[in-house]
Order: sequence, then structure tokens, then C-alpha cells
Amino acid sequence: MFPYYVKKDISLLSFVTTQHGHILTAIHHHSGGKDMKLSRREFVKLTGALGATLALTELGFDMKTVKASTKEFKLKGSKEFTSICTFCSVGCGMICHVKDGKLINLEGDPDHIINEGALCSKGASMSVLPNSDQRVKTPLYRAPGSDRWQEISWEEAIERIAKKIKQVRDENWIEKDVDGDKEYPANRTEALGFLGGAQNNNEETYTFVKMARALGATYVEHQARL
Amino acid sequence: MAMKWIMRAKEKGAIIIHVDPRFTRTSKVADIFAQIRPGTDIAFLNSIINYILENKLYDEEFVKTHTNAAYLVNQDFSFDDGLFSGYNEETHKYDNSSWSYQLDSNGKPLKTDSLDHPDTVFSHLKKFFKRYTFEVAANISGIPVEKIKLIADTLVNNRPGTILYALGMTQHTVGVQNIRSFGVLQLLLGNVGKPGSGINALRGEPNVQGATDFAVLFNYAPGYLNWPNSTQTSLDVWAESNGTFRKKFFVNLLKAWFGDHATPENDFGYGWLPKMDKRKNYSIFRIFETAIEGKMKFLYVMGQNPAVTSPNLNVVYEALSSLEMLVVADLFQTETACFWEKPGVDPAKINTEVIFLPAASFLEKEGTLSNSGRLVQWRYTGIKPVGQAKSDLEMHDLIFRKIRELYKDSTDPKDEPIKKIIWDYPAEQKEMAEAVLKEINGYDLKTGKLLTGIGALRDDGTTSAGNWLYAGVFTEEGNHSKRRDNQNDPGGMGIYPGFAWSWPGNMKILYNRASCDANGKPFDENLKIVWWDEKQGKWTGYDTPDVPNAADGPDTPNGQKPFRMTGEGIGRLMANTYKDPDPNHANLPRDSSATPADGPLPEFYEPVESPTENILHPNVPINPCLIYPRLETKQPIGTKEDFPYVLCTSSIAEHWCAGSVTRNIPWLNELVKETYIEMPEKLAKKLNVKNGDRVVVSSARGEVEVKAMVTKRLQTLKINGEEVIVVWMPYNWGYKGLSQAASTNLLTIDAGDPNTWIQETKACLVNVRKA
Repeated sequence: MFPYYVKKDISLLSFVTTQHGHILTAIHHHSGGKDMKLSRREFVKLTGALGATLALTELGFDMKTVKASTKEFKLKGSKEFTSICTFCSVGCGMICHVKDGKLINLEGDPDHIINEGALCSKGASMSVLPNSDQRVKTPLYRAPGSDRWQEISWEEAIERIAKKIKQVRDENWIEKDVDGDKEYPANRTEALGFLGGAQNNNEETYTFVKMARALGATYVEHQARL
Repeated sequence: MAMKWIMRAKEKGAIIIHVDPRFTRTSKVADIFAQIRPGTDIAFLNSIINYILENKLYDEEFVKTHTNAAYLVNQDFSFDDGLFSGYNEETHKYDNSSWSYQLDSNGKPLKTDSLDHPDTVFSHLKKFFKRYTFEVAANISGIPVEKIKLIADTLVNNRPGTILYALGMTQHTVGVQNIRSFGVLQLLLGNVGKPGSGINALRGEPNVQGATDFAVLFNYAPGYLNWPNSTQTSLDVWAESNGTFRKKFFVNLLKAWFGDHATPENDFGYGWLPKMDKRKNYSIFRIFETAIEGKMKFLYVMGQNPAVTSPNLNVVYEALSSLEMLVVADLFQTETACFWEKPGVDPAKINTEVIFLPAASFLEKEGTLSNSGRLVQWRYTGIKPVGQAKSDLEMHDLIFRKIRELYKDSTDPKDEPIKKIIWDYPAEQKEMAEAVLKEINGYDLKTGKLLTGIGALRDDGTTSAGNWLYAGVFTEEGNHSKRRDNQNDPGGMGIYPGFAWSWPGNMKILYNRASCDANGKPFDENLKIVWWDEKQGKWTGYDTPDVPNAADGPDTPNGQKPFRMTGEGIGRLMANTYKDPDPNHANLPRDSSATPADGPLPEFYEPVESPTENILHPNVPINPCLIYPRLETKQPIGTKEDFPYVLCTSSIAEHWCAGSVTRNIPWLNELVKETYIEMPEKLAKKLNVKNGDRVVVSSARGEVEVKAMVTKRLQTLKINGEEVIVVWMPYNWGYKGLSQAASTNLLTIDAGDPNTWIQETKACLVNVRKA
């Protein structure tokens, strides 16, 4: 898989090389020489930090060795699934490896017609996402005037949200618009706002809109302008 | 990643032209680079259009066959001193009734054989663009005359050519008209519908295409159907301005939403939809502004971080503090969720209740997303969400079911839509995602089978589709977004029809009918993509032909409609208010397509904050349809005396948008760790600033302290005889996450394009001083 992925990327390489010259210099130093041996783990670390589109052949090691160690070590016993990158709108394919329920590797999908195995610096770093300590793991509540979050259950979070939506909706319902001597049915509330969606899957944007419109919201927006 | 394909084209001999305010990594590999003053694209592009018109360098056959060049324009139409006919100074709006065609007795547009007839669109073009000489464009944009000419000649001599653009073109108060200039240029060159041609948006977010298709936008319903306003009291009244063609799709949406409750007798439940007040604007800016006014009480934010990404951030902070409740669904604690923790703020004074819902990341859930090429692809998962995190799909399900429970005993008519809308998805995430995608695709309600495509939709309530554009994505054959055939590429142009699925109807190149002449024969045999097959009696080819009906040949009206989403079916060099009559309906048009609010032709206006005067019409310096400031005290406009430098902002390759995700990835923080300002050496010398020194950047709206990056990549421009300095900043930072730094959007202006309400974050005025 890897030699394929490298070969396919040659066209982009000179570009990245030129632009990140300072980073590459460090790598050349680190890599030593033509006969360098690199474990798959070091290899992934290196390429990930640099944006996965590097001229790996320029690093000067034997790709056959890398390929062999790949099979032997890290991915042994793992299961694969594919995904699509979550950054720009190019739609690059990713292969993800799971072992014992944990994401242990993520790389560009070489069989994908768009990226042919390559990923940018952001996409290549995404294996961090399910393993990050920074992720929020429970619903949180911040009371009026408070200076801190408190953990709450999903039941409490959903209950609070639903009740608030009902209260705001019922208290701020606009039945009709009046224009001169004419009246038009309006059936809306302008006190509920729904914002977001370009990070979400299509199905989620659909249910977000369906829910917001069923509630009578006219303020439904997302980051289309960013 | 799109760049690898540009590089591959270059290897095959393509010439790359790069126009940007900065010399970037793209400029480095381009054959021609032009440095442009932010906000002056129309002047630059219009001068190329003028050159093409004056020297007859356009593709005459294409222009005559596939555009409205020979159509006759209403004689009341005019353009004078920066204003089109119909302008109302008080409302800042146009009455566009004169932006129409001369019609025959059947309501069809009149056209002539001679482009030179004084009333033709083509004659209007020549007159309108005549003002845009290379010299005028050079004075406005800062690109030297010789370079503009070189670019113009390169475009003319290398056809087909494609235009790729992103937010650099759209984040302006003339964002839509910037793209209109592209449209006119490409239509004149015959660069639409052919392989290697077109105007291609490189969109910003992973699923901004899908989120727009599904109308997470106030002014649309899924599939770009205009969301109704309250004066449109029935579906037929709505159809008076939208056409029966689109009404059919709306009926299918209502059937998907209200199921058996939607009947012809109750107008398919149209009355249950909330209607906009047509005098109001419901864009994101008004969400924040009405919160400050005390009208917006509750805001649900899903995967968005406006406390970093929105312009004029002080308005956003105040808005969030004015809400009764804010709900944020996200992966990490964002600046939006934690606005009450902002440095310098006393949380005790902020009464907003905030609920944070931990969301599953894209790797922890299933579903589809749509890329810039409308390719709909399935995401699998093999891991569980972290901690108690849930997918947004599950959150919506839990919240809506709870709300419905709260309303179950209500008899109030206002609560009917909550009770009548169809909401019975399976609880398990993958099953729910598939069930929703099936609802989106739609069903034949007579047979219960999934629809095969848009052609299977009916207008009588016997079919349903949650988004007509996606009909065909999930048929009885299976879920086409999961297809993975990367071998079969008929024509060898990268079409791969068996890899995932594109809307509409798995079409890759929109308007591909325009790659053929009037007889349905490809203009260029080497670039053929679709064609009329006389023997088979149908349109065929490597791609799905973009025609109203594959069996309607070139000798029928439908065989001459390469731009079938306009009423007249051809490309509009000049936009028009035309409504195509429906032979089956006496009172309703068949179709009516959009006309920009700010004019039928792209006119140059200066940015709201500009370093110079508008030399074309000093009395109408900025877009006349603009209403700004909207909040008198919170939206000040800076002048060049106080803020002499032009600021352009953007995202960077190493961080994404608000940085909510990327600033929590250590690797990426090592690559770029903070906000900075890139400035030309000349300014650095003037301010006595060295590379890495700290500087204070201020605008009429706020100030930030950042590091200076002194560079040759920005050069001083000569604008209208004066020197103009452009600086640039990335906007990806805020006060949360592993990497924290100043938010550039404290500086930027929240004036917006009158069509799309996109903010002018590509051009505002700032001052810079040494910290």
C-alpha cells in the first residue's frame, strides 16, 4: 500500500518541499542516510507531523522494509473501516484501523479516486481525535451567573433543552403578519435560533432543519459563509 | 489536496494563473501570478471581458447557441452613474421590472439573428463593459496593464480553461457579482459544460455543500427551494414566483415531512410551515443582533464556533450574553460554549444558561457528506463515541421526541406541525442514518419502493422526497453513496460513475449539454463527454447528459436547454427576471430563476472600508443595495485617515476555520502556533518592526496584539496614483483549546453582500503600530 501511495504523490512533492524547506531540512538531518531503518511507528509519526504528502523517497530509506514492518507490527489483528475527511470540501478518503475498540491508525485511502492515498496535514492528524484527552465526554451545564461547568446526565440535558424550547416557543409565537390592512398567517417564532451544520453529515443537517422548521423557526443558518 | 490535480494538469501542459493579494504556495507553482488589491476582482475581470468583446475574441458559435446574447432587453432598462434602472434610494432596493426581455404574445423572449441589434443583451454588454479598460482596471486593482493583457490573452488562447475560486471571491459586499463576472467571462469564451472548463467553487467545510443542499439556511427549503414568506398564503401563490417545476419538488418535500397528513385538500400541509416576514432578514447576523435587542432567547449551535469565525466579534460576545439559553453540540469546549469564560469578563454578570452536548466525531458515527463536486460519500465507523458522546442525529432524535411528548396533549393549532411531522426513526445510529437517507431519497408511495431518480417524482402527492436533488442516491439496488468502483472510467477523464454517487442523477459535469453544438455533436471530438445518438434516439455519453429529457433531441425545445435551471434554458450573460410560461397552467409560470438583488450585470463597487475613491462613480462608491450599519453604535466604519492599511484575512492550511478541532491537535499546533500579521517590508521599515516583533493591529471595531511576519510576499500596490499597503492575518484562533491566541475577527467588518449576506472579511481597514 505504501509504495503506491508515495508514487502517486510525486507531483505534489516538489511544491510542499519548497514551501516547508525549513521542516524538511530537519528531517534530512534526522533521517541520516540512504540505509536508514525506520519502524512503521516512527514512519507514521514523521509523515503525520509533516503533512503526509512528503517525498518519502527523498528521506532515503528502503520502502520494502517499511512495507514489511507495516504488516508485521502495528496493524496486526486490527479491523479496517473507511471514512471521509472532515476538513475542507475535497472529500478525501481515509482508512482507519481499529484494535481492541481503539483507533490505532489512520491514513489516506490509496484506492480513493480523489486523494489516491494522500492527506493534508490536518487530515493526517485525525487519528488524535477519538483519543484526545481534550474531548468533552459528558453533557455539561453552566447555570446563570456561574463561573463553572457541572456534569449532568443526558436525561437532564435533554429535559432542560426541550422545556426551554417549549417555553420560549409558546411565549414568542407570531401568528400573523400585518401589512397595512392585510393579514397573513405567519406561524413562526423568532426567538428560537438554530445554527450550524457544515461539519455534520447530510442526515444530521436534514433532521436539524426538519426539527427547527417543525418548531416554527425562521432563524435557521450555518457556516456557509465561512 | 485539490492542488495535486492542478499540478497533474500542469504536468500535462496546463498553464496556471494565480490572482491573489499575497504571493502564496500556489503562486510559487503558477505560470503567471498577479497581486490584486482585495475587493477589486470585478474591475480586473470586467476589463478582460471588455477586451474579449472589443476584439471579437469570444466563441461566437457557443455564444449564439447557448447564451442569451441575441435576446432583446426591455427598452426601459438602463445603467447610469453606478445605478441600474429601478433603484429606490430610501429602501436601497431595486424594482427589477425593467431587467426583463421583450416578450412575444406567448410570453416567450424575443431574439434576433444579429447580435448587433441595439436592444440585444450582447449590445448592452458591449456598452456596459466598455468603461472597463485595462488602464481603469490597473488603477483600481493594482495589477499592471501588461499583466492583465497577458492574462487575458492566455485565457483566450488556451481553451477550455477552468476557474477555481473560494472565499477570496465571495467574502465581499459584491460576492455574488464577483462570481457573475466569472460567469460572463466563461460563457463568452465557451468555457462551460466541457471537460476542463467551468467555474468551480472550492468550498470551505467538509459538508458545506450538503448543509447548503439541505438548507441549513433561512431562505431555502432542502434542494434550493425558496423558503416561503407570509404573503405566499398557499402553494399556488408560492408557485406564482417560483414556478410549477419547483412546486413539484416542494410537494415531495411536504410528503416526506408530513406523510399521510399531507393531502391535496390541505395543500400538503404547506400551512404548517413557518413563514418569513418578507420585510425581514433572518441571516446569522440578525440572530446575533436580535439577541442583543432581546428578541432571540434560545440558540442551538451545532458544530460551529461563531465566537471565533464571525466578523466583528464584540457583537457576537454581547449576543451570547443576552440569550436565555445557549446549547452547543461539539467535540471540544469552544469559545462559543465558553464565552462566559472569556478573559476580562465577569461570569457573575452573564445570565445565559449554557448546555454543552458532547458530540461524536466524524469517525465515531455513520452517514453521508457531499463534497464540492456534489459527490455523496458514505462514512463508516468501527469505534464507539468517546465517553457518553452521541451523534448529532441521536441528539435531534432525543430532543424532538421529548418536545413532542411535552406537546402531546395540546389542542392548540400552532402545535399541529410538531404532532403531524413524521418522526419515527430507529434509535440505533447507523440504522437511523440509513433511514434518514432513504427518506431524503424518497419513495413511490403507491408501491412503497425507493425512488429511482428525479424523473420518478410526481406532483400529485403519490411520491415523496426529502430533497429532490438526492433522488436516486438510495434505490432498491442499494445505497449508492457506498459504491467503490475506482476502475471503470469511460472516456478516461476521471468520471468514475460507479464510485459513490453525485447529485443530480450521478452527473459529474453540470451543463454538459453545452459541450455540444446545436445538433448535439461535441464541439471538440477530443473533449467529448455527452452527445445526441441519432440511432438510439437519445442523449448519451460518458456522463449523465444534463438535459431535461434524454429522449428529447436537438430538434425539440428541450434539446436546446443546456442551462435548464434558468427559465429560458440557456446561459445568462445578463441576468433576467424572465418567467417561463407553463402550457398546462394558465396562471402559473413553469419556472422562474434567481436574479441578483444588486443588478443584472456585475458592476464594480469599492469595499465598505476602502483606501481610495470609486473612480468609476464617486457618488455611488459602495454597493448601493447595502444596508450598513444595521446597529448604529456597534458597527462603526473606519476611514483611511485613521486606518490606512487594507486587511485581508483567511484560514491557513495547517488550521481549519475556528480551530475548534485543529487547535486541540498537538501536531498542528507545532506547525503553526498563533495568530500573526503578514506585512510588506516597506511597512515594517516604516514602523521600525522586525520579523517576530509584536504589533498592535486596530480597526474601527477592535484591536489585537500579534506577532509580525515581515515578508516579500506582499508588495506595495499603486492604486489611483497612490501607494496602498495590504496586510494579511489568519483568523483561526481564540481563547480556548490547546493553542490560544488573539481572534482576528475582532477587527473585521460585518457588512454583508445583499444577496447572500456573506461578510466582507476579505477587505477592511486597519492601523498597525509597534507594541
